[in-house]
Amino acid sequence: MLAFALSTAWRLGAQDAGARLDGRVPPEVRRAVQDIAADAAARGLPTEPLVQKAIEGGAKRVPAERLIAAVRALAARLAEATDAARAGGLATPQADVVEGGADGLSAGLATGQVSELVRASHTPYDAALVLRVAATLAALGVPPKQTVQLVEGLMKDGRSATDLLGLPGEVQAQVAGGETPTQAAEGAAHGGGNGPPGRAPDFVPPGQTKPHHPNHRP
Amino acid sequence: MSLGYHPLVKQLLDGELSLADLPLELRAEGAEALRLIGAVDRTSVVLSPALDDRVMAVVRRHAGSPARRAWHWLAAPRDVELRLRLRPVVWAGALAIAAGVALLLLARTPVATPVPASVARGGARDSVFVRFVLYAPGARHVAVAGTFNQWDLNAAPLARAGSSGVWSTTLALPVGQHQYAFVVDGERWVADPAAPAIDDGFGRRNSMVAVTARGAHTL
Amino acid sequence: MGLAGEATDGEVVRAVLGGEVERYAVLVHRYRDRYARYAARMLGSRDAGEDAVQDALVRAFDRLADCREPAKFAGWLFLILRNRCFAERRRRQREGRPLDERDDGVAGADRPDGTLEQTERMRALERSLAHLTPEQRDVFVLKHVEGLAYEEIAARTGATVASLKMRMHRAYDRLRDLMKEHL
Repeated sequence: MLAFALSTAWRLGAQDAGARLDGRVPPEVRRAVQDIAADAAARGLPTEPLVQKAIEGGAKRVPAERLIAAVRALAARLAEATDAARAGGLATPQADVVEGGADGLSAGLATGQVSELVRASHTPYDAALVLRVAATLAALGVPPKQTVQLVEGLMKDGRSATDLLGLPGEVQAQVAGGETPTQAAEGAAHGGGNGPPGRAPDFVPPGQTKPHHPNHRP
Repeated sequence: MSLGYHPLVKQLLDGELSLADLPLELRAEGAEALRLIGAVDRTSVVLSPALDDRVMAVVRRHAGSPARRAWHWLAAPRDVELRLRLRPVVWAGALAIAAGVALLLLARTPVATPVPASVARGGARDSVFVRFVLYAPGARHVAVAGTFNQWDLNAAPLARAGSSGVWSTTLALPVGQHQYAFVVDGERWVADPAAPAIDDGFGRRNSMVAVTARGAHTL
Repeated sequence: MGLAGEATDGEVVRAVLGGEVERYAVLVHRYRDRYARYAARMLGSRDAGEDAVQDALVRAFDRLADCREPAKFAGWLFLILRNRCFAERRRRQREGRPLDERDDGVAGADRPDGTLEQTERMRALERSLAHLTPEQRDVFVLKHVEGLAYEEIAARTGATVASLKMRMHRAYDRLRDLMKEHL
């Protein structure tokens, strides 16, 4: 019974993909993508990104062979991301987690790092959000290891989900100012942030400090 | 971009060396640098005497409310108005000032001016206005295509702003993660130079934008 | 701090947390001008700085229960203000508004010992500072306006001395370039 329901879903999903691709890609591409999507659905992977990628390739007038290869590669990445999410503790990863993971892999994160990020995600940090932020940081040029450290560090510090969301913007702004992504990420780890500070550092009031001016004063 | 100061001159500026410590050939640069930094205004700043009362007035209000409401940095009356206009929270190149030129443009025009056709298609409830800007002086036609409009080259043309070479449009995007690229003259695909870029699988790069409604984090 | 007869910060914080809301006015009065210059320099004008200080004082009240060491209220308040300045800078960047560059932020004209050339240079430097990143501007203001050593800045903000120097040195280079444009 379940198998029948599932296979119907696969066929419907594949048909839906076909309908959306009709007219946007050559017939041979449509057929190939339908097959890839049906196979992906059978393995429990999200199919929407595959259809989107095919539509994108059609709009960009990518040659058929290349387009099909790209869709197939994306399916493989979605599978890899699903495995990584499972290894990180999610029995049935949601589509947005898998897509976020796939983006992360595209941006240079390793499978193990995706797993680690999923494992580290806990309320109020949604795994999909964490992966999205990490993927964007990596896409900005922050090295994968530093990306993971930055995101995990923020969660450990108990900063808000808003702060997490704001990380890529912070890093981007500093890169725009001339810092390397690595420097910008280090800055984001220590500085900025919209959340309330949790720790008061050893405070030295400015008026009570001996000024440290360069020697140019007359 | 010039070469920048010699590392020893930077140490001079930091106060770790004196001018006399620098080798002769660096003294001129060192003196120039000191003059530059020395120009900084250090006069103290005195705030209005009414500040105490203003703060305490708000403090009393907050103390009186049974449930402390969540604090938004920008919860001044002017920002409530902006929230009603669906102020976007966007952290990608669309509004980045990395291009420098984008800043020029945005300073002159209101930020959230929707292009009617795109707004109608956008669907108002879970959408947020996002501004796309590209500097392309030689272009005849620029559009933005992405996951939010099925990569349709014709769905979202940009409008040229005068003769500055800057093109822009504002779209209502549904909340979520999107990829996009600019299309110049109908055939050249250009990633947003100031946005995070991701491999599109076809040998080029797409740009990423994540759209959230303030307070919600559905991605 | 702790002059005879005056309550310490820690005592006032504990009193406010205990329900004596009006005593918060002591802290407001004590710190209202302390970081005014920092805020004004970060945001480019006295008015913007005043808004930031006001908001920070209110927010410090709202989150007073989070102040883990009441005796260190001043440093905690500073971080709230600093975050507020960063948030304001980022917001203005998103809106495409440059920093307020009004003359009330630059006291050049009033300085009796200032030459015209020095005034020009001061104005040019203020304009150039506006183009630094918030983080670069922050370390520049703390070091060259407030006069703190790197170690002190590190202690206050949690950054490492190495990263502060890196940031500052990049700011020096940027300022050199920017000053060429603005002079």
